[in-house]
Amino acid sequence: MSMEDYDFLFKIVLIGNAGVGKTCLVRRFTQGLFPPGQGATIGVDFMIKTVEIKGEKIKLQIWDTAGQERFRSITQSYYRSANALILTYDITCEESFRCLPEWLREIEQYANNEVITVLVGNKIDLAERREVSQQRAEEFAGSQNMYYLETSAKESDNVEKLFLDLACRLISEARQNALVNNVDSSLPGEGKTISYLNCCNFN
Amino acid sequence: MEKLTFYALSAPEKLDRIGAYLSERLSRDVSRHRYGYVCIAMEALDQLLMACHCQSINLFVESFLKMVAKLLESEKPNLQILGTNSFVKFANIEEDTPSYHRSYDFFVSRFSEMCHSSYEDMEIRTKIRMAGIKGLQGVVRKTVNDELQANIWDPQHMDKIVPSLLYNLQQVEETESRSPSPLQNTEKEKEIPAELAERCLRELLGRAAYGNIKNAIKPVLMHLDNHSLWEPKVFAIRCFKIIMYSIQPQHSHLVIQQLLSHLDANSKSAATVRAGIVEVLSEAAVIAATGSVGPTVLEVFNTLLRQLRLSIDYELTGSYDSAVNIGTKIIKEHEERMFQEAVIKTIGSFASTLPAYQRSEVMLFIMGKVPLPSMHHPMEHGKAGESRNRLIQIMLLKSLLQVSLGFQCSNMLTALPSSFLDPLLSPTLMEDAELRLFVLEILVSLIDRHDSRHKFSSISTVPDIAVLKLKVDKCSRQDTLFMKKHSQQLYRHIYLSCNDPCNVQTHYEALYALLVMISIELANEEVVVDLIRLVLAVQDLALSNDDNLPAYNRCALHALCAAYLNLISQLTTVPAFCQHIHEVIEMRQKDGSYLLPEDIFVEKPRWSKSADHIETELLFLQSKVSEVLGGSGYNSDRLSTPYVPQLTDEDRLSKRKSIGETMSLQVEVESRNSPEKEEKAPAEEITFETLKKAIVDSVAVEEQERERRRQVVEKFQKAPFEEIAAHCGARASLLQSKLNQIFELTIRPPPSPSGTITAAYGQSQNHSIPVYEMKFPDLCVY
Repeated sequence: MSMEDYDFLFKIVLIGNAGVGKTCLVRRFTQGLFPPGQGATIGVDFMIKTVEIKGEKIKLQIWDTAGQERFRSITQSYYRSANALILTYDITCEESFRCLPEWLREIEQYANNEVITVLVGNKIDLAERREVSQQRAEEFAGSQNMYYLETSAKESDNVEKLFLDLACRLISEARQNALVNNVDSSLPGEGKTISYLNCCNFN
Repeated sequence: MEKLTFYALSAPEKLDRIGAYLSERLSRDVSRHRYGYVCIAMEALDQLLMACHCQSINLFVESFLKMVAKLLESEKPNLQILGTNSFVKFANIEEDTPSYHRSYDFFVSRFSEMCHSSYEDMEIRTKIRMAGIKGLQGVVRKTVNDELQANIWDPQHMDKIVPSLLYNLQQVEETESRSPSPLQNTEKEKEIPAELAERCLRELLGRAAYGNIKNAIKPVLMHLDNHSLWEPKVFAIRCFKIIMYSIQPQHSHLVIQQLLSHLDANSKSAATVRAGIVEVLSEAAVIAATGSVGPTVLEVFNTLLRQLRLSIDYELTGSYDSAVNIGTKIIKEHEERMFQEAVIKTIGSFASTLPAYQRSEVMLFIMGKVPLPSMHHPMEHGKAGESRNRLIQIMLLKSLLQVSLGFQCSNMLTALPSSFLDPLLSPTLMEDAELRLFVLEILVSLIDRHDSRHKFSSISTVPDIAVLKLKVDKCSRQDTLFMKKHSQQLYRHIYLSCNDPCNVQTHYEALYALLVMISIELANEEVVVDLIRLVLAVQDLALSNDDNLPAYNRCALHALCAAYLNLISQLTTVPAFCQHIHEVIEMRQKDGSYLLPEDIFVEKPRWSKSADHIETELLFLQSKVSEVLGGSGYNSDRLSTPYVPQLTDEDRLSKRKSIGETMSLQVEVESRNSPEKEEKAPAEEITFETLKKAIVDSVAVEEQERERRRQVVEKFQKAPFEEIAAHCGARASLLQSKLNQIFELTIRPPPSPSGTITAAYGQSQNHSIPVYEMKFPDLCVY
């Protein structure tokens, strides 16, 4: 229908330890600002942004979760419907990197099997305080079959790229899936209404 | 607008087109930030929705929902709230046509997110959160009864909805001190998210069906875990009160089960957490009382007792056994203690919700868990094992006490079967002062069916018992039967409990209470006589001092006797009896106030060291008592027979074992101060005495004596206990008079009555050892 204002809709969920800069990444991307002194997220935050790639309108529903342990149960419930997960850590914080396997376990447990996961090392503007080397992170990402990217929400480095790359990947993934099961061609986001969005049910 | 409505109504088939157009306009306006138009468009959609109750609404709803979603996607709080309000209006419409392909995934997610809003402006934040809650309420209303909908009860939705509500519920407690007056509260009610969240939660739970409870409760437990809300537990309790009161009563046992399994899952968590869960459990159990707790009762107790044992293990070993990562946690003893107390309290509150028959079942069940040496439970040996056993015994008895509190059984016989009484009265539980006290208290609270215990919490000689306003019912037939069957056991227990040097005031108080309870709850004439005999025997115990009790204990026993006899005399209302007792008490007040409870059972007891020589005027005399009571139709023959405790099976067993022991002991232990001696039951004492005498006389006699004893013991062991008891009871007075006769005549051969006892008796007669024979009746009869 002509009234559709997008061609694809994807749900992206950001996860990672508390204080690694998930909210700042989202804010930078959706609002173009870097909020200094951003407080801890309570539960979940929601943002929406529509981008255009190769003439196609892609609506990104971004769920920014709280990193704090106490909200774990509600944040987990959001993994399930995600098309993509952005697993974030802080390159100046060894601890946040060491927690990654734990996060992967959570993903394994709660998220959809088809989910695309991107590993993001944030805060590269603080390069002098780096604790996790790029090589190490890349190796880790490779071993876990994840894409890897380093960003800075503050300097706006790679933030745009992160989301746009992800969107591209999601599109191609969606197309592939559409080819595989073209009988039931419920492309993610290509439905008529928002209520059609059971795009995670590929199985 | 009116025109539009009219048009839509007259041409319903156009409705979807109208909707589509409006929504398109609206989305354009949103993106162009023309919020005035947005509001108008939404208003129009709302009104159309309200106006059109026709079939074709379905398609219109599609565009309507899309618009709401659109508004919700916006960053502007006003639009979010606008969207929510429309959604709520929509949710309140009853739809009669099924909608197959509607999904509320996004709404659930978004509303849940709004519930967690952290908008800078407090006022707006509250508004957003309120909107979120309302939205969730709307979703719930809309979907809960619609079987075609994506199941709202699925964990993926519940995991969002429930924590969001709880989070808001919990906020009040953190931000507000709950101080505003109720009047203010009602005014502001609409403004507080927590209130709304609570109502929403209640509504949600009220609609939960059997299969959905689990999904709804699980997130609650998770939330409480994650936010570590078990510890202050106020919130947890509040949550579960809400849950218990709002779910359908027939499902309440499901909640209990969930809590129990959660407790099991948390058995390695900190004690405070477990204590919190247990505390919540106890609160919930009380509420669940209205609905039946169902067949899982024993399972509940099993879990609780298992937790109790685990906790004792933790306390003793100082670590959670399979400590993998958690091992670093230090176990705090007092926290474990608190947890244990909480479990016991829970057991009590659980039990109080049960009907009588289940209660006695539960008591039996707990009793079966008490580690006793003779039972099939293996005792753990070694020092650690012993202290563990003792702790478990204490904890379980405490639980039993909790269960028995307020338990009013109509039928003692079924409430206290011998399978329960026997282990309870077993000697293992008598050795330790603390355990002994628990056993006494349990007995008291079981027998006390008119809640008169508190009237006898302190021992005193009340001149007129009318002030106590006692309710004394006629002893029912079942109770009489009960006493016939178990009275000897009870008396024996009381007697032996009296004879313990470690007793303190509380023990005497419990003993007093037990005596009183038996007399007001279970007494018929026979029992009264027996009780008086028992008390007089206790007096003799204090007087003769065979066991070398400290002076305090002896005075205490005298005081106990005085208090009890004072009471029973007034209960029997035999004037002569009352008079005798009264006289003695008056004498004591004059010359021996240390023999009265008023002096002994106070904070600083005054007693006399000279408890050895007490004037006869200060004593209650058996002969006198039997005389006055005999005059009023009581069995005076029986009364004049001194009470001597009966042997139980276990005692006889231990006695057989101890014969050899006593032999060697008696040579060395002339003074009877050794602790082993004191612990021995009076029955064994006779053994000692007789053996000593026998040895003095001749070795040969001793040999014969032992041989004879073995025969007696065997006889008693082979015959069933009841038979022997009945036999002895019936013959006691007859035999006594016969014996007296014989002793007077000494040498004349007895007329030999039939029966086992006489056989043994006849045998010993041939030996003609008068000193020994004086002791013999005791041994023979009991």
